Amino acid sequence: MEASATMGTQCIEGQEHPSHPIISTTGLIMDYNDQTRALNGVDLEVEPGEWLTIMGPSGSGKTTLMNLIGGLLQPTAGRIAVEEVDIGSLSPRELVSFRREKIGFIFQQFHLIPYLNALENVMLSMYFHSLADEEEAREALRRVGLAHRAHHLPSQMSGGEQQRVAVARALVNSPQVLLADEPTGNLDQDNGQTILELMRELHQEGHTIVLITHEPTIAELGDRTIRLVDGRVEGAAQGTSTGNEEPKHPELSELSEQPEEPEDPENNQNTPTKEEQHDDQ
Amino acid sequence: MFSLILRRSLGQRKARVAIAVVAVMMGASIASALLMVSLDIRDKVGYEFRSYGANILLVPESESISISIGDVDYGSVTEQSYIDEEDLPKIKDHVWGENVLGYAPYLYSVVYVGDQVAILTGTWFDQVQKISPWWEVEGHWIDDRNDTTRTMVGTTVARILDLELGDTLDIAYNNSGNLSTSQLTVAGIVTTGGSEDNQIFVNLGLAQELTRRQGKVNTVQVSALCIQCPVDTMAATIEEQLPGVEAKTVKQVTTAEMNLLEKLEQLMLLVTALALMASALGVSTTMTSSVMERTTEMGTMKALGSPDSRIALLFLCEGLIIGILGGLLGFGVGVVFAKYLGQSVFSATIAPRLSVALAAIGLSVGVTLAASILPVRRALSIQPALVLRGE
Repeated sequence: MEASATMGTQCIEGQEHPSHPIISTTGLIMDYNDQTRALNGVDLEVEPGEWLTIMGPSGSGKTTLMNLIGGLLQPTAGRIAVEEVDIGSLSPRELVSFRREKIGFIFQQFHLIPYLNALENVMLSMYFHSLADEEEAREALRRVGLAHRAHHLPSQMSGGEQQRVAVARALVNSPQVLLADEPTGNLDQDNGQTILELMRELHQEGHTIVLITHEPTIAELGDRTIRLVDGRVEGAAQGTSTGNEEPKHPELSELSEQPEEPEDPENNQNTPTKEEQHDDQ
Repeated sequence: MFSLILRRSLGQRKARVAIAVVAVMMGASIASALLMVSLDIRDKVGYEFRSYGANILLVPESESISISIGDVDYGSVTEQSYIDEEDLPKIKDHVWGENVLGYAPYLYSVVYVGDQVAILTGTWFDQVQKISPWWEVEGHWIDDRNDTTRTMVGTTVARILDLELGDTLDIAYNNSGNLSTSQLTVAGIVTTGGSEDNQIFVNLGLAQELTRRQGKVNTVQVSALCIQCPVDTMAATIEEQLPGVEAKTVKQVTTAEMNLLEKLEQLMLLVTALALMASALGVSTTMTSSVMERTTEMGTMKALGSPDSRIALLFLCEGLIIGILGGLLGFGVGVVFAKYLGQSVFSATIAPRLSVALAAIGLSVGVTLAASILPVRRALSIQPALVLRGE
């Protein structure tokens, strides 16, 4: 079932304004080599500060959707916009600039540069963005509790620590959107919990998060979960978490049974959003 | 930050970098060795060729007068002409003078040894040694130009006159009825396989005195190193210096010499090109392996927003460092190689040249950067979405 979910309006500086989704897709289609259709008409809207979880079986198009949002791919058809920037219309150079300015990636495999230590890995992201500031990088490491591991190489750190470095790297440039592709997929439970706690804190601070997971318990942490099946959004549900509250744990089966939201975001302004529940964010 | 990435990146892959440096070094060593030899080879080979004899022959210009009485033509009479000995230093007194390796004057006359007739040749033995090093001499050369008591005789003359080293012979020159005589001791017996075998050699001064032709010579053989200038130019220059002298070139030798030089240089160029191509192949293979190893790293950098230019710059700077290191090491090895070549082939020392060092480094950097183009393109074509898949 193709679905569209919107979050209605948001509060900016105490005033209500018509909602401007930070991510919106319309009829998004992605083909690989003109043969394999990874996404087959995805309509989606994500509000600023929202934590959207994407679930679905392997090959359902989750990573493709995340890569499209992150500007690592461009759609075959349809429209995808992040902060009203039409990704499909960007040149390769503009795409690079877009990624650098707007997106923070957290990968399942961490993907730290093996010959750079934790501090340098964080600084690398800053270097591509603007200027590598060691103090800011240290602060980002402190933020993820790894100040004492700043000069350790990835090979000298546990998986959890590496992923925390990756989180620091992703957030150091204060991107609008954090994209996390199964960030706990390679971690044990304790390290996974640490990462999720970090994600929760980032969400509470107002970061927009799009997270892919296979774990229903992780999905429960988000505001909203969509399920992709065969390149389509099977169901959409709107969470009630504000991000500052303890997350609620709706049953996924219930999420999928939520009534389909109308596709036109203009018609969704009456739908309550988590932003509306914030006084000022 | 860039230099840090570069440093760490090179340090991380020491083995691969070392392989690439060695590949460049091998090409650079051959290139620099052959370049050093090539710069010297014209001189070296030129000197080698000079061992095959003079390439310019100076003869006095002569004018023939036709003699006819009535309708009967009695042919022509040529007046005996000479070159003045005092003009000989002018052979080297011009812009190409440095290229004149040596010149030997010759004054020929017919003398009697007992009842035998022989050709007496006056010359400068020290110069003959320079321009005719192939002479085989049993005994000794006559080193002193003022020595009027010793002679070197051709092997045929020695056989006919039954002369051995240390023997004496009396020569007589008939000068319009007046006999001039001299007693000489055989210092050396000459074998060349040519006309020299039939001659009796004495110092030029003695021959001039005997024949009463002081200050005169018949011909001068000049051995010139015709590298920077064609032999014809050299001959023309000498003619200008010595009025009344005709300079004839021995083109057969010089042409063959130049052809061989050109072929040698072409061969060296080919070997150098092949060596550099082999280096480029080695570097390209190593760099490609490096790119393939670092696919994820490049994908990560791209995902983080690295522009293609910085990734290209990273690889090109690595190539630059490899090129400079390989070029420097290659030049060092090339110097040893060139010295060995110089000693074993040309029996001469080939000195290192700064220009060759710079050329070796320049070539190495050029080859490395050229060899990096394909690997860099490969790195730039990496799709982060494909290489960063978590599954």
